[in-house]
Amino acid sequence: MKKDKNVELEANTTEERKPTLSEILKAEEAELKAQKKAEKAKRKAKYAYDINGNIIPDLDVKHVKGIESKKSWYGFYFILPWLIGLVLFFLIPLISSLTYAFSDVTPEPGYMDTTWVGLENYRYIFDSSDTYQKALLGSIGDFVLQLPIIVIISLILALILNSNFKGRTFFRGVFFVPVIVAAGVIMGLLTQSYGENGPIIQLSSTVAADAYSTVGTGGGLDVTELLTSLELPADITEQLSSLITDIFNTIWSCGIPVVLFIAGLQTIPAQLYEASKVEGATTWEEFWYITLPSIGQTLLLVIIFTLIELLTKSDNEVINLAYAQITNVEYGLSSAMLWLFFAIIGVITGLIILIFSKTCLKRWE
Amino acid sequence: MEATMSKADARRLKKLKLKAAKRDQYKRFTRTKSGNFFYTFFLILFGMFSVLPMYYCIITSFKPLDELLVFPPRFYVISPTVESYLTLPSLLDNLAVPLSRYAFNSIFVSVVATFLHVMVGSAAAYVLAKTNIPGKKIIFTIVQMSLLYNSYTLEIPRYIIYANMGIFDTYWAYILPAIPSSMGVFLMKQFMDTNIPDALIEAAKIDGAGSFRTFWSIAMPNVKPAWLTLTLFSFRDLWAAAPGSTIFSEELKTLPFAASTIAQSGIARQGCAMAVTVIMMIPPILVYLVTQSSVTQTMSSSGIK
Repeated sequence: MKKDKNVELEANTTEERKPTLSEILKAEEAELKAQKKAEKAKRKAKYAYDINGNIIPDLDVKHVKGIESKKSWYGFYFILPWLIGLVLFFLIPLISSLTYAFSDVTPEPGYMDTTWVGLENYRYIFDSSDTYQKALLGSIGDFVLQLPIIVIISLILALILNSNFKGRTFFRGVFFVPVIVAAGVIMGLLTQSYGENGPIIQLSSTVAADAYSTVGTGGGLDVTELLTSLELPADITEQLSSLITDIFNTIWSCGIPVVLFIAGLQTIPAQLYEASKVEGATTWEEFWYITLPSIGQTLLLVIIFTLIELLTKSDNEVINLAYAQITNVEYGLSSAMLWLFFAIIGVITGLIILIFSKTCLKRWE
Repeated sequence: MEATMSKADARRLKKLKLKAAKRDQYKRFTRTKSGNFFYTFFLILFGMFSVLPMYYCIITSFKPLDELLVFPPRFYVISPTVESYLTLPSLLDNLAVPLSRYAFNSIFVSVVATFLHVMVGSAAAYVLAKTNIPGKKIIFTIVQMSLLYNSYTLEIPRYIIYANMGIFDTYWAYILPAIPSSMGVFLMKQFMDTNIPDALIEAAKIDGAGSFRTFWSIAMPNVKPAWLTLTLFSFRDLWAAAPGSTIFSEELKTLPFAASTIAQSGIARQGCAMAVTVIMMIPPILVYLVTQSSVTQTMSSSGIK
């Protein structure tokens, strides 16, 4: 029965309705193809054409073509050094680490011996214990808490620093200086984050790693020590010190977002505020209807920047877990852990961009 | 009325008007007294959190030994000395490499790598922003993607590549990996898109400037804020980067390594550890002072696409 129907349908379409249409389409297609072929032939042929398509006899076509090709070749020379670097230090490592994630890896002098094991690494990670899941949930939970706080605090700071008051430049400096000095080892020396928040193994030689893990005695600002001197009950001291450390970390993560926000705020035309003043808008309305919609793009940028900074900090639980696997020479496992983590970051980032641009940016346009 | 006004009066009137205008602007965000108080409080509180570690570090570096060991730690110093700074060089005597060598390594590596990074990155960004090289969209997508990737995932494969390149235990191990970082290309490309009009480049070409000349004396001066910012960030990262497992020789190690070695040497050396930290904070701040005015400008161009 079914077959019959199909045949009937086909017959219907081919005989009654479509024949003329499909024929026309076919003809058009053929025509287009012919045209393209002709154009291609024209381009390939070593003649130059005038507007009407006639051959201009005495023109050196090679020369005319030469300028264009020369231009792009120059571009190629310009980009080449960086491109080599990109391939060597980003693309090749990216692909090999992706292969590690699905392989059993044994290090040999000069290369890694890999055997494909499919999803075996992941099965091991999830079956052996729940530390990975815990670390994953923990770091995502932390980031869900910290992200809004950092974004809101830096927005408030930027709003204040963007208004006119005495000592504005000074305060801008105050909030930007941490950005400048707080990188790598200096950060650790200043806040004693090394040695207390677990191992930070930056694939460094054992001597260096040892050095970092004992910087704790180095004399930087130690919040716990300060609080102990107040002689409060131990519970409160512990709570307070973790709270204060959190505040420090938050403030020190605000530097670049503040600068980004100030930059965004400065692009808002002053006329908008003048107009709103004439209309009698309150400061709150000004913020809600002018400032925020105008810096929508910056807001998204700050959110993504902060997200990546937060999730890729060196004291992140998942990253530390993966590094512990490196010291066990389990490169496959380590890569698998990191790839899953970064895939999750990627999905979160994508979702945030999608939701943000679908809801906020669309409404603010 | 205005004709009869004396010059001094006119000047005074102008000043008054300016003051009023300033006050109005000031009022925009801080209208009420309580609001004013709130803003000041917020700024000072968070400002304190922001500078406290650095302040404490500087203070500690000037403390004499007996004040260092006081418990609870003090936020002020009673009789400041520069002893910690003076003992720094002799402290590393047992390490076979003088402190000046570490400092030289740090400066050399940071300056060379920053320079090369800015040059290579700008040249690539120029091509991506202003020419029609095939595949430039794909390349830029890769750049954006690689911004999301932290180096952790790539550490092991990179290590193997270094090994195969034979750059272990040379200055190249610091410099080469730093050059193709995609941050530079991204920043410069975004800035060049908006700040170099195509007409300018065409004009330069018509006037007979070659591709390099156009890039060097037309494009680059126009995006000065961008590459100054890039210099600042790149210098900051390279300056504080500790030598990884790619460097074994003591005489090739950098200041951060020396700093952590000093910090390791116990509570009596706290002053010295903080002194070396203070010294390490100076160069990035100097670079910041030079490039300072450009930073906000760059951020505003690269942030809003």
